[in-house]
Amino acid sequence: MKNLFYFTVLSFLFSPITYGHHAFTAEFDANAPINITGKVVKVEWINPHAWVHVEVKEGSKATVWMVEGGTPNTLIRNGLTKNSIKPGTVINVRGYQSKGKLCLPRCIANGRDITFPDGRKVFMGSSGTGAPRDGSDPRER
Amino acid sequence: MFDFVVWLSETKWSIALHESLYLYPWIESTHVLSICLFFGTLLFVDLRLTGKVFNNLSVADMNRKVLPLTLFGFLVMSVTGLLLFYAIPVRNYQNIFFRIKILLIVIAGINAFFFHRRMSNEAKVWDKDSSIPNSMKNSAITSLVLWSSVIISGRMIAYNWFDCDRQPQPKWINTLTSCEVDYSLFEGIDGF
Repeated sequence: MKNLFYFTVLSFLFSPITYGHHAFTAEFDANAPINITGKVVKVEWINPHAWVHVEVKEGSKATVWMVEGGTPNTLIRNGLTKNSIKPGTVINVRGYQSKGKLCLPRCIANGRDITFPDGRKVFMGSSGTGAPRDGSDPRER
Repeated sequence: MFDFVVWLSETKWSIALHESLYLYPWIESTHVLSICLFFGTLLFVDLRLTGKVFNNLSVADMNRKVLPLTLFGFLVMSVTGLLLFYAIPVRNYQNIFFRIKILLIVIAGINAFFFHRRMSNEAKVWDKDSSIPNSMKNSAITSLVLWSSVIISGRMIAYNWFDCDRQPQPKWINTLTSCEVDYSLFEGIDGF
C-alpha cells in the first residue's frame, strides 16, 4: 500500500503537461487583430510552421510582417501550395500580432486567412491551437 | 559552428525534411514515443534504486531485463532527434532551450556512465545485502531529475520567445544564443 502511494505520487510528478503544440496565447495577442495587404517577399515552407513574409507599404515606409501559418501538410490540404504564394504575389492577410509589438527587425503575427487578388480566401492557420474563434477556420464549430 | 549549421540547412535532405508533408511529423512522433520507452523504462530502475518501491525485486535482474529496452529507446530517440535537428539546423542551434537541453544531456550522460558502471559491478551485492548505498540512491534521483529536465527543455524548443529573429532581447540572451544583433536599432527603446 505504501509502495502504491509512492508510485502514484511519482507518476503525477512525472506526468507530461499536455497542451497543443505551441499554444496560441503563449506567443500571440488575441486583442491585436491585423489586416494587412502587401507583396509576398519570402516563403519559408517549413515544419512545424510555415512562415510567409509580407512587405506592407505605407507611403515611403515599408514594414515586413512575418506571418506564421500551419504545417506544410495542413496548408496543402487547405489549398495553399508553395507555388501559389510565390514572392511577388499580392495578398491580404488577417491574423493576430505577437505579444511583442516592436517589429524589430520584423513584425510577427499568427495568420488566420489569406485572400488572393482574385478573391479566393484560404485558411492558413491550424485548428485547435487556442486562437480566437473568429470564423476563419472552416472546420471550427 | 554557425557557418556549419548554415551549410547543413542548405543541404538537399535538410530542405526535403523540413518541407515534407509526412516525414517530419512521423519523425517527431517517433521521437516522442521513443522518449516514452526510454524514460518509462529508466523510471522503474531508478525508482527501484531509491529503495522506496519494488523492494522485493532483484536490482540485478531488473537491470538486466529492462536495460536493453532503455538502450533501444535511447537509440531511436537519438536518431530521430538528430534528424529533427538536421531538418531545422540554424533555428535549433540558436535556440536557448535546445542549448540547455544539450548541456543537460551531457550531464545526465556522465551520471548514467558512472551509474551503470556501479550497477554492473555491484548490483548483485546490493541484492544479497538488500541494501543500496546512499550515493547510488542519489545518482538515481539525479538521473530522474536530469532526464525530466531534458524532456521539459526539449518541449520548450517549440517556443520562440528568445529566438534571434525576435528582438529586442537582453544582451545576455543574445550572447547565450550566439545571435548577432545591431543594437543601434534599439536606441530609444526602454531598457536598452
